[in-house]
Amino acid sequence: MNFELSEEQKMIQQSVERFVQENYDLPKRVEISSKDPGYSKEYWGSMAELGWLGLPFEEKDGGFGGNQIDTLVIMEQFGKGLVLEPFIANVVLGGGAIQKGGSEELKKEMLPGLIEGSKQMTLAYAEQQSRFDLEDVATSARQEGDKFIINGQKSMVLNAESADHIVVVTRTSGGQVDEEGITLFLVDSNTKGIELQNFPTVDGLRASEITFDNVEVSSERMIGELGKGFDILRVVSNNAILAVCAEAVGAMEILYKDTVEYTQQREQFDHPLSDFQVLQHRMVDMFMEYEQCKSLLFRATMETIQDPVLAQRTIHALKHLIGKSGIFVGENAVQLHGGMGVTEELRIGHFFKRLLVIDSQFGNADFHLDKFTNF
Amino acid sequence: MDIELSSEDLAFRDEVRAFFDENKIKDGEDYFSWRLGWFKKAREKGGWDVPKWPAKFGGPGWTPTQHYIWEQETARAAIPFDLPFGLGMLAPILMSYGTKEQQDRFMPDIRDRKVNWCQGYSEPGAGSDLANLKTKAVLSDDGTYYTVNGSKIWTTLAHVADWIFCLTRTDDSGIKQQGITFLLFPMKQEGIEVKPIITLGGSHTVNTVHFTDVKVPVENRIGEEGKGWTYAKGLLEHERTGLAGLSKSLVEVEQLKDNARSVKRGNGTLMDDSSYKSKVAELEIDLMATEYTELRSLANAAAGEELGPESSILKLKGTEIKQRIQKLTVEASGIYSAAWGDGGVGYPFAKGGTGGYLNSRYFTIYGGASEVQKDVIAKKVLGLTKGSKK
Ligand SMILES: Cc1cc2nc3c(=O)[nH]c(=O)nc-3n(C[C@H](O)[C@H](O)[C@H](O)COP(=O)(O)OP(=O)(O)OC[C@H]3O[C@@H](n4cnc5c(N)ncnc54)[C@H](O)[C@@H]3O)c2cc1C
Ligand SMILES: Cc1cc2nc3c(=O)[nH]c(=O)nc-3n(C[C@H](O)[C@H](O)[C@H](O)COP(=O)(O)OP(=O)(O)OC[C@H]3O[C@@H](n4cnc5c(N)ncnc54)[C@H](O)[C@@H]3O)c2cc1C
Repeated sequence: MNFELSEEQKMIQQSVERFVQENYDLPKRVEISSKDPGYSKEYWGSMAELGWLGLPFEEKDGGFGGNQIDTLVIMEQFGKGLVLEPFIANVVLGGGAIQKGGSEELKKEMLPGLIEGSKQMTLAYAEQQSRFDLEDVATSARQEGDKFIINGQKSMVLNAESADHIVVVTRTSGGQVDEEGITLFLVDSNTKGIELQNFPTVDGLRASEITFDNVEVSSERMIGELGKGFDILRVVSNNAILAVCAEAVGAMEILYKDTVEYTQQREQFDHPLSDFQVLQHRMVDMFMEYEQCKSLLFRATMETIQDPVLAQRTIHALKHLIGKSGIFVGENAVQLHGGMGVTEELRIGHFFKRLLVIDSQFGNADFHLDKFTNF
Repeated sequence: MDIELSSEDLAFRDEVRAFFDENKIKDGEDYFSWRLGWFKKAREKGGWDVPKWPAKFGGPGWTPTQHYIWEQETARAAIPFDLPFGLGMLAPILMSYGTKEQQDRFMPDIRDRKVNWCQGYSEPGAGSDLANLKTKAVLSDDGTYYTVNGSKIWTTLAHVADWIFCLTRTDDSGIKQQGITFLLFPMKQEGIEVKPIITLGGSHTVNTVHFTDVKVPVENRIGEEGKGWTYAKGLLEHERTGLAGLSKSLVEVEQLKDNARSVKRGNGTLMDDSSYKSKVAELEIDLMATEYTELRSLANAAAGEELGPESSILKLKGTEIKQRIQKLTVEASGIYSAAWGDGGVGYPFAKGGTGGYLNSRYFTIYGGASEVQKDVIAKKVLGLTKGSKK
């Protein structure tokens, strides 16, 4: 057992931390978020240059052969600045699906471009009726000769506006909620029949509803085997859970530390707020939730690296705890800041919003509690 | 003890329902003229336009049960909006501490919904510790007017208000609670600058307000100079009860269940989901108890007892319940809770739901933050003060 990061990981951690400190104060973030495309292309270029986009990919595909710990290191630091660049959509979701299931040709075609920042991707999986159930897929792909015809609708797709390629989760056989019969395809965003409805999200990012109306895709663009897409989807979703949970831990750290600092500065009744025991204890609770989340994050990440199948139960536990604790920490950071806490002017509100959104992604606290209970 | 409504009470309820029914807004009718017309007709019913005002000032003089019935019915009915500042906050102060002239001057316009008021209490350095306020009012040498300088913060709807009731400092030589003076003055005048504060839900309701040499005639002072704290304090308890909003919550819980039933899960709906269902049930149980805490408090009031520390319980429980309703709406929205704005996507109820939840966080901050409310209960009810030893 060893919780030490490797020398390389420590270096990455420091460089991401510096990047966030230098480039991501609140006014800058608000400015970037409010302008198209909703993130900074310059920052995205720097991230590619610094090699962050290639970390978890295999060396033969242009990556650095890292694993989920490397992603954790990056995402935790990103969480401290609420970084807007589409790392999760590209590296963890779209790229992750290609890495896990794509043919050698697809990998060669997509990954080097993605790693150097010239190609953008996303994953379209959720649907209106599916809520958090990955296996609930109604969007159909019907085979016609060496083509498939995709019809259906996808919801809350991250980064779709900027992505030139979409990995789309379709049903090629079986009932609507069967794990069997799900197939993934890589489609070009410009393909005829794809329509996007774009909108901002609560946390200052962007997402889209996508309709697929008789969208044609060559069978060579299938990721993995016909009908076996669920296994890829589950792996990608688990990795995304680890990534957003690392981000959440970073965000929680900012929230509890900002609150400790604020209560020491703000005086009421001729005392700093931090003199009041009820507030001290609340901050101790916030701190403990943060530490507990970090522990479970380490556990889930290390177990996943050792054996992703056995780690499934811990992943459910993690996403449950992060959802619940993240909101606890966010709500109390706001409460302890009083009126200042509910304004857009302080950064804590923005961190709280991100934690709220994280709970709604890849299954909320209740959903994972239920999965855990029935595991 | 019994909870049976008398036949008079039942008749009253029917009358209220009939009134609401007859005076619903009609298709195509202008909202604002309907609103004013509605209050006019309510007035003709015998003070129904000012239900909380005592009979002496033109209110209906209802029994607590009648008030309860009214609350219940208004939560369900489509009645025009109303703002609490003039009607529920300033008017009671005018009734208790205003001169006859002041009552005659200000109360009719409040009653006719002609003049919008805002509450200028909090300041950057005076939140929970309200008595720490510093906005200065200096009496002119001839004793005819005050000159006001300073800043207020969190002033709800200051940007649309015609008048402000404002706590100012006229003397800082004694303890904080002394030397506070209660002034009324128009908002639309030179020397007053209002700036918006945008809250987490993305909306503009609160503001900062800056005063530079604002002149206020002495006739606009309530009561004596330096006694403003006493006048304001009694009112805070009224404000708190008003913030509990229980009858509205009762309706919203029903709505919450309907929303959850519209979300399909497997062969059932979200209301069949065991975690979700339990959370709604716990909420409902708390609401049932709080409803009766409110009734007990109303009964005390009817028996002529002062509105007391129950108002803190009601505020604490009532606001927490409102927040839980918002939180459960977010949860019911599932993935769509991440969509921003009310032009969003997904279930109809999800639109704007997350903004509503975020804004609901201030329910436990304004009108006395929860931690401070608990201090009030600890001191006033449990008799606990620092260093108190039996
Ligand atoms: C089963 C058992 C075994 C024990 N074994 C041992 C032993 O082997 N050796 C030994 O030396 N002692 C032992 N203890 C004693 C134990 O350490 C004390 O009970 C403990 O330190 C609390 O002291 P107290 O019981 O006097 O409670 P108090 O100190 O009177 O506390 C009462 C309550 O007040 C709270 N409180 C006290 N101070 C504050 C504060 N400043 N702020 C907020 N809250 C406060 C406490 O948290 C507690 O809830 C044992 C106790 C128990 C119950
Ligand atoms: C949406 C909104 C609308 C408002 N509208 C108005 C308005 O129209 N007019 C007006 O005058 N004011 C208004 N207010 C102001 C409101 O009354 C104050 O925000 C409130 O009194 C809390 O003060 P504060 O924000 O300065 O927080 P602070 O007093 O700084 O409190 C911060 C935190 O410290 C805690 N705390 C403070 N003192 C203690 C203590 N002794 N012990 C333990 N904990 C403590 C509080 O509970 C809180 O959690 C509004 C506020 C909001 C958010």
